Amino acid sequence: MELIWYAVFALLLVGYFALEGFDLGVGMLLPLIGGDQRGRDRLVAAMAPFVLANEVWLVAVAGTLFGAYPMLEGEVLFGLYPLVVAMLLAWVVRDAGLWFRRRADGARWRSFWDAMITVGSLGLAFGWGVALYAAATGFDASLLHPAGLLLGVVVTLVLAWHGWTFLGWRAPEAAGITRSGRALALSGAAAALPAAAVVGGALPYLLEHSAPSPTLSVLSVMVLPFAPVMVLAQVWVWRTFRPGKGPVRTLSFF
Amino acid sequence: MDVLDLARLQFAATGSLHFLFVMVTLGLAPLVAIMHTRWVRSGDPEHERMTRFWGEVYVINYALGIVTGLVMEFQFGLSWAGLSHYAGDVFGAPLAMETLVAFFLESTFLGLWIFGWGRLPRRLHLACIWLVTLTAYASAFFVMVANSFLQNPAGALLRNGRMELVDAAALFTNKALVFAFPHVIGVGLFAGGMVVVGASAYRLRRRDGEAAFFTASLRTGVGTAFAGLWVAVAFGYPQFAGVAEGKFGSDGGVATTALAIMMEAGNLLSLVLLALLVTRSRLPRWRWSHPLLIAMTPVPFALAVCGWLAREVGRQPWMIWERLSVADAMSPGLTSGMVTASLVGFVAVLGMLAVADYALIVRVVRRGPRDLPLGATVDEQRSPALSH
Repeated sequence: MELIWYAVFALLLVGYFALEGFDLGVGMLLPLIGGDQRGRDRLVAAMAPFVLANEVWLVAVAGTLFGAYPMLEGEVLFGLYPLVVAMLLAWVVRDAGLWFRRRADGARWRSFWDAMITVGSLGLAFGWGVALYAAATGFDASLLHPAGLLLGVVVTLVLAWHGWTFLGWRAPEAAGITRSGRALALSGAAAALPAAAVVGGALPYLLEHSAPSPTLSVLSVMVLPFAPVMVLAQVWVWRTFRPGKGPVRTLSFF
Repeated sequence: MDVLDLARLQFAATGSLHFLFVMVTLGLAPLVAIMHTRWVRSGDPEHERMTRFWGEVYVINYALGIVTGLVMEFQFGLSWAGLSHYAGDVFGAPLAMETLVAFFLESTFLGLWIFGWGRLPRRLHLACIWLVTLTAYASAFFVMVANSFLQNPAGALLRNGRMELVDAAALFTNKALVFAFPHVIGVGLFAGGMVVVGASAYRLRRRDGEAAFFTASLRTGVGTAFAGLWVAVAFGYPQFAGVAEGKFGSDGGVATTALAIMMEAGNLLSLVLLALLVTRSRLPRWRWSHPLLIAMTPVPFALAVCGWLAREVGRQPWMIWERLSVADAMSPGLTSGMVTASLVGFVAVLGMLAVADYALIVRVVRRGPRDLPLGATVDEQRSPALSH
């Protein structure tokens, strides 16, 4: 039972990086390869249908942390208090940027929210590097440890590359490059690698700190029957919005 | 204020802000789903415009529900680590269901609905908004399960200093839950209905076109608000059977005052809404009534905050009734400086976003059902000359 919930937790965390990773990457790349407003619109439109289905993976990670590792939930989040607050704010302004950017006209309104998307994406990606380093070292080191900051830069660069690959797959004409689905899977794996290494190394620790069996049983009975529905919903998103189904006549809401 | 007050204020501020948007989500989701169903059945372009216009209001409101919800979820670990240490084995299960299943599916299906316009087959697209509605209600249910456990810790026993789940069924049939959940659903419909009523009255008063559209909307809104309020009131009173003794003293405190305001206003409003329901076909022509209807729009929001104050402040000083105090639930080592910094950050950012969000909703209402962005096709993209 502990192993099943470890697998769920690891899958959700790794999946978050592989999926939401390219949204963050596209967000960072907006000012670099977006060009004018129209160009940025096309880049955002490429990732827009995936964002809502991707970012919930982290919401689910936090839920699993609470449900299956209640003893660790406070330790992890409280141990990283300033970082978690900063990352939450980054996430919030990134999301607000996406929802608000096309809700009003005016070049300044749109550039402002596009900048928020970029700032938020950069902040989240960099914060993740620092957070993963802290998790790997048992939350003892300072959040400003050079190795942590370096990992922040590395994660940011890898996610930017993942975002660029995604654009090459989904919207080659807007991105100026063409990438295959295989290349996207590869960059996704690279994006997930740091998180996978940390969660892999934490296996014994997590198993030891799992919730007691009766709790995990209740959780399993309630959650696992819905797992196929959740997988199907995610697959449905990818089937619906994959490229190459002819020109799309609708505009992106984001 | 000491660190405990600050941490409570932080949770109260983000929680209240979250609920103000969530209640509209709960009310508008079924309304938009019904409009979408009518459109699919009739193929009537007017029903399509209804779906796209009120759908846009719903979706803009939803954005703030998400971002405030994210901050809520992580605050449990940030400020209230003692809660998960003491009762995480029980409290964690419904919260995990909410985040891991209900919200996960809600967000996925909402993405499919928003971006699936013109891509998904018509009936599957319609199914998406109904699935969004269903999972939104499931989310509300699991959050209320978790909250009700704090009010009345049923189904759990204390063992080795921690609470253990011994009876999962008792968690879901908690006496603090069975009437409170329908009450919250009623409140959501009341709020969603009143948003539609207020917006329609505003447009009808200004007489700037689209009279038929907003006449129909006003009627739908009045019907929904009436049904929602009566459900809320009907499931309001039986909740007292489940209230722990001593929760509401007669000392005129915040909880008791908030409770009294909510009940008095609720009773009065049930009569007002009944009158509106009876006269709903004449309301669009009665211009004198429109300012009153507009002025009534914020009322459900004020009453909902009163309701939560009664339920939550009345629980003090307990995090879990007579088991765990809020002081013991606070993360050990939390300092005033930490909470002050995060409180300022969250309130400033979320507060500004909330104001921007309401301004955008007002903008949508003023513009009316034209240039609708949900499902807009490349051909109907407005020309730059027309935008202002």
